[in-house]
Amino acid sequence: MWLKIPIEVRSICILGQKNSRNYTQCDSLLIGDKCGAHTVPYIEVKNNSSRVEHEATTSKVDDDQLFYCRQRGMGEEEAVALVVNGFCKDVLQALPMEFAMEAQQLVAISLEGSVG
Amino acid sequence: MLKINNLHVSLEDEDKEILKGVDLTVDAGKVHAIMGPNGSGKSTLSYVLSGKEGYNVTDGSVELNGDDIMELEPEERAALGLFLAFQYPIEIPGVGNMTFLRTALNAQRKARGEDEISATDFLRLVREKAATLKIDSDMLKRPVNVGFSGGEKKRNEILQMAMLEPKICILDETDSGLDVDAMKLVANGVNALRDEGRGFLVITHYQRLLDHIKPDVVHIMADGKIIKSGGPELALEVENNGYSDLLDEAS
Repeated sequence: MWLKIPIEVRSICILGQKNSRNYTQCDSLLIGDKCGAHTVPYIEVKNNSSRVEHEATTSKVDDDQLFYCRQRGMGEEEAVALVVNGFCKDVLQALPMEFAMEAQQLVAISLEGSVG
Repeated sequence: MLKINNLHVSLEDEDKEILKGVDLTVDAGKVHAIMGPNGSGKSTLSYVLSGKEGYNVTDGSVELNGDDIMELEPEERAALGLFLAFQYPIEIPGVGNMTFLRTALNAQRKARGEDEISATDFLRLVREKAATLKIDSDMLKRPVNVGFSGGEKKRNEILQMAMLEPKICILDETDSGLDVDAMKLVANGVNALRDEGRGFLVITHYQRLLDHIKPDVVHIMADGKIIKSGGPELALEVENNGYSDLLDEAS
């Protein structure tokens, strides 16, 4: 199942306190050539002493990475799952355990059948 | 063990023939070296053997222990015992070295109908193999090849080779970018894996690696073909005289 619609990611941040600060980072990883990523940060600042930052990166699962994993014995789907989990790892690790486990399962389910 | 027969390979995108009839047989227990000028097709040979995309086999065949491997996926060739030590090992952010090794080993075992390795056996095996290559536990925990120095990356390739216990090992310019000490360490790691059930194909530019990994046969490759084969002294001849005499001889 290829993703045929572009995915839009919105982040919402509302800064009310004086001297509050926001940093939003959006990293997208594209799998295959039929999807796109659109990140839409929504930052509402309710005072003029706040500091806001937004950063977005988009990358593709590298063919060389996949070949490296496959040359070591992993199938294509397993290789993609490994690379994607590595990509998500920092964020998943920062989540409370219950969310982290569910998020990991969600990644696995969404990758099922997404290759080939 | 590895039989390459009249292999002709072109690039998929362009209509350019890179391998123009390579014939090569590596018997079990032997170390074959391939040397040759840049552009001779040495790396292409290693990529085609391991199943990298982007190449068309237009003629010839490759057999590994009697199995034709050209139609097989990279992971199927790996499970049959083919290993490529990359010239430029790939970085995989967020994936620990240990995780990578264990996933790879279990994937191959599963493909061969074997049981997965137990956690304790795996840890014992990794620590044992890592120690001989002077790879410490810190490096084992780091993401695969991320921030590794050239020497560390090549040692990591040899660690993977030691863990996966392949039948045929292709070393693609394993000594490139290494200082003498790192090269010796890598060479020792390779020599420790020499076995009567295992064959090696060592692709190198420089004779010095072959001082440490002594080959049984040396082949000179140029313009997509093997133009001369001989004993270890052939490598010394190239080191002293360069390739031009041999190229003249061939044409």
